[in-house]
Amino acid sequence: MRASSDVGGTFTDLVYYQVDPETGQCGEVRTAKADTTPPNFEQGVLDTLAKSGVPIGELDFFAHGSTVVINALTERKGVKTALITTRGFRDVIEIARGNRPDLFNFNFRKPKPFVERYLRGELDERVTYRGTIERRVDLSPLPAMIDAFRADGVQAIAVAFLHAYVEPANERAVVAEIRRLWPEVSVLASHEVSREWREYERTNTTVLSAYVHPITQRYVERLEDRLKDGGYAHPLYMMQSNGGIATAEAAKANPIAMVESGPASGIFAAAYMGRRIDEPNLIVLDIGGTTAKCTLVEDGEVKVTTEYHIERDARNPGYPIQTAVSEIVEIGNGGGSIAWIDEGDKLHVGPRSAGARPGPAAYGHGGANATTTDANLVLGRIDPASFVGGEREPDWAAVDAAFAPLQARLNLSREEVARGIVRIANANMTAALRLVSTNKGYDPRDFALMAFGGGGAMHAVALAEELRVPHVIVPVNSSVFSAWGMLLTDLRRDYLQTHLTRLESAQAAELASGFAAMRLQAMDDYGRDDVGFEHFLDMRYIGQEHTVKISAVRSADGDVDIAATADAFHAAHEKRFTYRLDNAIEVVNFHLVATIAVNKPELAEKPVTGRALGDAVIATRSVDFDQHGIHDATIYDGLRLEPGMAFQGPAIIQEPSVTCVVPPPHSVTIDKYGNYHIHLAA
Amino acid sequence: MQHDIFTIEIIKDAIVALGDEMFNAMIRTSMSPIIYETTDFAVGATDATGNLLAQGNGVTAFLATLDTAVVSLLEHYPDPASIRPGDVFMSNTPYEGGGTHLSDVVILVPVFDGEQLIAWTVNKAHWTEVGGAQPGSVSTNATEIYQEGLRFTFLKLYDRGEVNAALVQLIRDNVRLPDSTIGDMHAGVAAARVGARRIGELLDRYGRDQLLEAMRELLDYGERMTRAELVKLPKGVFEAEDVVEEDGLGNGPFPIRVRVTITDDEMIVDYSGTALQTTGPINCSYTGLVTGARCLFKAVTNPDIPANGGCFRPLRIVCPPGTIISAQAPAPVSLYYEPLIAAIDVFWKALAPVLPRRLSAGHQRTVGATFISGTRPENGELFVMGEPLVGGWGASSDLDGDNGQFCCANGETYNIPCELFESRYALQVDQYAFHNADGGAGRQRGGKGVVLDYRVTAEEAYLTYATSRSEARPWALDGGQQGSTNYAEIHRHDGSVERHTMCTTVPVRRDEVIRIYTASGGGHGDPAQRDRDALLRDIRNGYVTAEQAVRDYGVDVAEAM
Repeated sequence: MRASSDVGGTFTDLVYYQVDPETGQCGEVRTAKADTTPPNFEQGVLDTLAKSGVPIGELDFFAHGSTVVINALTERKGVKTALITTRGFRDVIEIARGNRPDLFNFNFRKPKPFVERYLRGELDERVTYRGTIERRVDLSPLPAMIDAFRADGVQAIAVAFLHAYVEPANERAVVAEIRRLWPEVSVLASHEVSREWREYERTNTTVLSAYVHPITQRYVERLEDRLKDGGYAHPLYMMQSNGGIATAEAAKANPIAMVESGPASGIFAAAYMGRRIDEPNLIVLDIGGTTAKCTLVEDGEVKVTTEYHIERDARNPGYPIQTAVSEIVEIGNGGGSIAWIDEGDKLHVGPRSAGARPGPAAYGHGGANATTTDANLVLGRIDPASFVGGEREPDWAAVDAAFAPLQARLNLSREEVARGIVRIANANMTAALRLVSTNKGYDPRDFALMAFGGGGAMHAVALAEELRVPHVIVPVNSSVFSAWGMLLTDLRRDYLQTHLTRLESAQAAELASGFAAMRLQAMDDYGRDDVGFEHFLDMRYIGQEHTVKISAVRSADGDVDIAATADAFHAAHEKRFTYRLDNAIEVVNFHLVATIAVNKPELAEKPVTGRALGDAVIATRSVDFDQHGIHDATIYDGLRLEPGMAFQGPAIIQEPSVTCVVPPPHSVTIDKYGNYHIHLAA
Repeated sequence: MQHDIFTIEIIKDAIVALGDEMFNAMIRTSMSPIIYETTDFAVGATDATGNLLAQGNGVTAFLATLDTAVVSLLEHYPDPASIRPGDVFMSNTPYEGGGTHLSDVVILVPVFDGEQLIAWTVNKAHWTEVGGAQPGSVSTNATEIYQEGLRFTFLKLYDRGEVNAALVQLIRDNVRLPDSTIGDMHAGVAAARVGARRIGELLDRYGRDQLLEAMRELLDYGERMTRAELVKLPKGVFEAEDVVEEDGLGNGPFPIRVRVTITDDEMIVDYSGTALQTTGPINCSYTGLVTGARCLFKAVTNPDIPANGGCFRPLRIVCPPGTIISAQAPAPVSLYYEPLIAAIDVFWKALAPVLPRRLSAGHQRTVGATFISGTRPENGELFVMGEPLVGGWGASSDLDGDNGQFCCANGETYNIPCELFESRYALQVDQYAFHNADGGAGRQRGGKGVVLDYRVTAEEAYLTYATSRSEARPWALDGGQQGSTNYAEIHRHDGSVERHTMCTTVPVRRDEVIRIYTASGGGHGDPAQRDRDALLRDIRNGYVTAEQAVRDYGVDVAEAM
């Protein structure tokens, strides 16, 4: 039995299946759901296991994705943290980058650092940008500093010195001395968290990781203990932001690497499914209740970046986190997004959301605002008979009351307003999809759109029409795709090392030895030698700042093929920025991805019983398809559709928590895994 | 086809998004840190006649530079047949639309539907180098524009898709870092073309009629949103006065005066009575003044919606020509941003007393631009470092001022990380920290300025530095204490310390230290009324010294703790 659990804001999901020992095939994917139980999140996980009836002792593999890190950060529930920096630089974390995205706000305040100034100590030491130790660290003030931290109730210490990404000896000396003086305290040095330059970003990342370190450690240990008590005899794996899993041990050492683990697993699952069905180029869209997230998968690969921020938006600089995170654009637009009109009579949708409570007006829990879900209900796209999985009658009076003020302001009918809400929500999501595709030089016509999450199937076809994507895929298990995705991942570590050099033959040995050292480090960290590697270089033309990540082309002897890699860089630069230069190419970061494959069963194929298509039809219903008009649409029961079936729109495919809208000109096929493919009419 | 309102809304949003799309294209292709770290640029689109539709800003200081550039260009090319598909124009002349100083170059690309001009995409960016007497093309001692670099007046860089090779070669031969400069030029053209291509897509998708209607409606929307805020502002006449201290040649101080009249229908900002233009380069042209007035107007009306030409219809700016903020040729202008900021700040000072929650007290009021050039010992290459500096912002009625923030003319401006800085320039940073100069006490405390040490590691380096607020301190509100001042020091081998507020290419030898102090912001309210716990916290955090606690707040730390 293999299982994974994903802790969300409201619910904790469990996905599990049996593996047939004869065929190696996995059986039917089943799910269980329980309330999320803050602050003891592990209880919710145990509750889902109890609900599922699966004895813990029968589990062969258990992967877990947790929001414990991001919650502790956004709710400021971490521990009191101190910081030790190079002398003269304790204010770097407060000065930050000095930027003010809220340009015309002349009463602006930047976000507060996670360490107050009196808890920031300084030590005399200096390393140059070339990694030469100019002054060894003077440890003599440390005992008094530690005493003061202890007296102030500090529970974690971050150490961040200038240029430690290239020469960490001074940081190591401080960490060793702190461990000697105060063994119980959590201590993290910047070089353990990031080997990239930019002192503010690296320092802040180290501080945030230290801030959540004790509570994450306790959480993972409690979960391990509870599972062990239940008879689980295998390692616990934790989902990471880089789309891989890590052993509980590795995850505890640097908790910040878990910060965006939730979205990562869905995206990696999409890439995995894409490879299985020969669709390696995907635009991926995950629409939830409050936000929509999207990314682009090229040649089956998810793009991973270390330029990640929390709490950043058009007004707020947020906090940078320099850790490997799958590249995602997230916007405040989901099923619960609220429609409103500004003083200039413009209709907006989101970013404010009705959330789970009160939720959309139709829930009848006192929601007074029209949401995207309400608009889809008004247009007949959501089946009133199976609203919220059939558990609830839509509260039409509440819907009418929510729409009335919008209708009055715009002087339009309820249906016209609903169409407007859906169109504007779609335009917002289209803008986000453009950021990951056309804005980076990709032509959406070369991609398929894979959509999941509660609202993915509802909007996907309209978005594909707008972007001219010819093909939409709604994957099987699309409403629990993130949790399911964890069962498809491998162990993964990302090693990034800032190391300036040129991409030219004179530097071939330097490139080779740089990667060789990183591979050794990876094998050492894993403690095994069956490690798979991918080699990337972040590069730019000399004089530029921002880099482009290129998969290094390797020659037969395993070293970097410099000419071929340069060609790949020129081509990628031109694709993204419209021109190429004759300038020399500079390498900024070496990026090594080190993976250890986890044995996985074959994906389950959906059984074919020979059922007639007509047996999957529930009814016909009048549905408003906006530009395509109002039509009597055939309503299919998604659970009864079988591989090989095909039909035309107008149609709606319904599952208990999925509604897939197919306007008239388009056609649908079902593949062997049960994925829905919508082929757009030209 | 009928133009339904939601389609028009969606086109409007797509036009606004153009600003961000071009902004990203620019930031990712630039060759120079002044663009990618300090984001000293703006991108945008206008309609065919130069009404601003959307603008992506790195800084506030370019708010009036895109639309006015199109208007001036159309005066230079009155024959419609002289503007063709494939053309790219460039300009940096300060005295016409789009003008600031010569380092900031405007790139303009016309967008056509067939033969019909329908829009422009425009950007303006600070190039690393445009030649002239000093590295970085900025000085404190120029007396004429001719010393400040190359000047382009609406030239065709591309003619129907063909690059003007002679012009490119001319630039290459007359600047110190030709690869960087030409790279900046490419970035500008690439960003403008990204926008032009996107407008072409909107045209294909929605047709000319709907696109043009969306443009008109977008401008009207900006006006409606702004007027809705204007009626909420206090009505009346508000005045303020301040100074720009010096022009680099020993002249000054120069008074800046404003008289703001707010009615239900418009805001009139009259700068009459401001000092006449001067010999040194601390002059700002009229475009700069329009930018400054628009910035504060936007801050007090609707700072949230994207700026477009409609937002500024209720704003009227008055200033006679030939002042320090409406300078005429051939006045040198390389430090134009200092009087521009002073023009924003004095307008701000006039309204802050009546808008105490919207506007904080006075801030450092300087870009504090610091340029250091020299030769890197490891490879013999010339370097030219230029960066603005963060300082303290003022307190408002309910909050302390922000510590270490770029001035109001900046925005999405990033300081250069020391780790990048040291790899690129022959300088080592010894400290980057808040200082404890006196100033900014109040019931709400002014934000902290910083002290920054650059230790020279080259044989010799040259400092060019210019600041204002070197004498007149950031203003306080409601009985608070004024902030501190901006200045630089050079700590010499012999232990002597030189103080500078305006200097050009002062030699500094290896291991000597250039130390820069930026001002702390003004306080708000009587310091004696500061919350006791907040003050104790300030002392513990080192934001207020024990001595300042006694003198400014009347609190003896030993007793209090």
